[in-house]
Amino acid sequence: MKRRDFLKTSAIAGAALTLNFEGLQAALSSNTMTVEAVPDMVAVMGGEPAALLDKALETLGGIGNYIKKGQKVVIKPNIGWDRTPELAGNTNPELIKALIKKCLDAGTSKVTVFDHTCDEWRKCYTSSGIEAAAKEAGALVVPGNEERYYKEVAIPNGVKIKSAKIHEAILEADAWINVPILKNHGGAKLSCAMKNYMGIVWDRRFFHQNDLQQCIADICTWQKKPVLNIVDAYRMMHQNGPQGKSAADVATLKSIIVSPNIVAIDTAALGLFNQVKKLDMEAVGHIGLGESMKLGTTDLQKLNIQRIRL
Amino acid sequence: MKQMNYLKWVRVLLAALFFIPIFLYFIDFAGLIPNSVHSLFHLQLVPAVLGGFTGLLIFQILLACILGRIYCSVICPAGVLQDIINRIFCIGKKKKKGTRRFHYTRPMNILRYSLFGVTVLLACVGITELLVWLDPYSNFGRIAANLFRPVYIGINNVIADLLFKMDNYTLYHVTIKTVTIAGLVSGSIALLTFSLMVVFRGRLFCNTLCPVGAFLSLISRYSLFTISFDKKVCNSCGNCERACKAEAIDSKNLRVDTSRCVDCFNCIFTCNKKSLHYGINPLCKKENSTEQSSASEMKKAMGYNRRSFLATGVTVAATLPVVSALAQNNTGKGEKKQPITPPGSLNLERFKDKCTGCHLCVAECPSQILRPAGLQFGLGYLLRPHVSYNDSYCNYECTICSEVCPTHAIKPLTVEEKVTTQIGIANFYIDRCIVNTDNTDCGACSEHCPTQAVHMVPYKGTLTIPEVIPDLCIGCGGCESICPVRPDRAIIVKANEVHQFVNKPDEDEVLDIQIDDFGF
Repeated sequence: MKRRDFLKTSAIAGAALTLNFEGLQAALSSNTMTVEAVPDMVAVMGGEPAALLDKALETLGGIGNYIKKGQKVVIKPNIGWDRTPELAGNTNPELIKALIKKCLDAGTSKVTVFDHTCDEWRKCYTSSGIEAAAKEAGALVVPGNEERYYKEVAIPNGVKIKSAKIHEAILEADAWINVPILKNHGGAKLSCAMKNYMGIVWDRRFFHQNDLQQCIADICTWQKKPVLNIVDAYRMMHQNGPQGKSAADVATLKSIIVSPNIVAIDTAALGLFNQVKKLDMEAVGHIGLGESMKLGTTDLQKLNIQRIRL
Repeated sequence: MKQMNYLKWVRVLLAALFFIPIFLYFIDFAGLIPNSVHSLFHLQLVPAVLGGFTGLLIFQILLACILGRIYCSVICPAGVLQDIINRIFCIGKKKKKGTRRFHYTRPMNILRYSLFGVTVLLACVGITELLVWLDPYSNFGRIAANLFRPVYIGINNVIADLLFKMDNYTLYHVTIKTVTIAGLVSGSIALLTFSLMVVFRGRLFCNTLCPVGAFLSLISRYSLFTISFDKKVCNSCGNCERACKAEAIDSKNLRVDTSRCVDCFNCIFTCNKKSLHYGINPLCKKENSTEQSSASEMKKAMGYNRRSFLATGVTVAATLPVVSALAQNNTGKGEKKQPITPPGSLNLERFKDKCTGCHLCVAECPSQILRPAGLQFGLGYLLRPHVSYNDSYCNYECTICSEVCPTHAIKPLTVEEKVTTQIGIANFYIDRCIVNTDNTDCGACSEHCPTQAVHMVPYKGTLTIPEVIPDLCIGCGGCESICPVRPDRAIIVKANEVHQFVNKPDEDEVLDIQIDDFGF
């Protein structure tokens, strides 16, 4: 090293030492780094599904933060029932359509949509409006009604479930996005992001036979986690879930919540649910179990949450 | 006589126009064939009689009065199927062993009319067993639904699986659940019977066993249009006789038995001399006495004489005591398990009387819950479809089976009627329920209940357990099909022998819920 270079380096180092890091330190200690940091969760209220999604993803720094160009992506809505979108039995088709477009615009090579439905799958795919919306947006809609589409994978961290058959679309994908609709649920009490996992597995009877709440938490420990959870609360089923009887079961909240943290998003969704109907956290056993299995936190105070009204 | 070769092709074309849609409707599982095709099924004679479609019945009788048994060659899918089997049999064979292998036989009048009489008699007292086994349309249905459809789905599955490996989801795999042993056996018997009879004796089924054939033959022998010989031109080569599937042409005596002729026009097509023609019945013309006498002579030769009429009458009468005994036996309650009958069938007795087991509903049910019954519900329910909640359940707003049923054994229902028709009631067995035995959440039954007749009520701690409100339950089986408890499920639908009607679940008022806070 030449003397001149040494002097130059020393001078720069000296100058650097005099810089003030107070702002950064304050931000780190108070956990309120608001300026341009990516929040842990975004909730948006007061708009149409596509606009809600736009705002939420924009706040999260764009979908490119979660999926990459050339990737194969699976979008997993809830298409469980032979119900029209107004009855809130299934994820909003407009939301799915907007999300597919976002993914394709981000340069993903393939977007696949499926669900293991409860009602007859052709009827569900049609009535929900999701098949038509997804195809229009350019996604591949695949069936989930046959065991042959599912492959056995290990769930090493599960308590009750040690292995499960999971739809190969997700097994083959580079990333998947979990898009549940927020609903009351007769068995699990709340159907949201964690409960939506039951649509990626084949043998749901096992879940019901072996402690439903624990099994839901177990399946969420599978190593391939969704890159994002997007909770559709544009319409919410507040009673008679998960199927619903009529429009009287539906509250139009025009909201969505987006977060990669599945326990936190279900906790937040429960908070939103409680705005309409009372439901105790302890009744929704799988959320607490999820936290104890280190899938995320129920302590929303610790998170950076952006709440936006359009 | 003018050349009338085109007649055969008209018949073939018309037959194709009827047969192809009916056939495709039976095997189509993907909803590619429009639903309106099911109106073709109402034209079938036995369904028209059982369904009480008087207009259609009169139309069929008039058709036979004018044209003869054109029904058997065009409208009846079993008849056309036999023609197709015959055609397949003839492939690669010389004419003598193939298309021209038949020869004239005397009609088996006593057999066919006795069988017809007994079938009608039994059906009148509510025993439709014989009708179920003999009705040509229903036999065709059983072949199509239990044999052709599974083969078609199987082929689809092979291709779908191949495409699936190439990441193409244009086709999808379908698991067939509707084929039961009873269905398979009945379909096979029908196909085997048709095939053997056709190969050895042409339209023997239609002229001995078939009640529709027997009924139409009573009309067709006096029909306005018949096939007859131009005796001046005929050189008695015998080609027409050998081409006649119905074995109805006696080329030695230049007679056509119009009671057995099914208007296939193969004879006209075959005749080199153009001596056969289809036109106004010479019996109707009554041109001269010689024709008259030859007509009565012909009648005699064809066996329409007093003796056979009496023999038929005696045979039918002889079965009367048996019939009445059966009828009495039939009303007696058996100890057998009750089948769940499809919504629209109104009650078990009515359904048994009207259903001929064509299995169209079995083929069309999108949830595949209708299955041809074996003997589990007694002989009287054999081959009728029963509702099984083993794998799936009756879709809440689906009315397909009631729309397609050609006999209206399953009466057409509006969606409103369907969702209030109670075909059975869910029975809950708490001692088997997971929530009770394992102290864990489940609720699968309530989850699948469209009316929330099965709903969750507080149990221990935060646990909830199902409870059934029978007045809301329509017996759709959502709960039973999904209950995870084995071997015996904790919630089981028990059949209503007579269907009931329940009120639609009260619709809560639609509240205008406004929130201004996220709540977290």
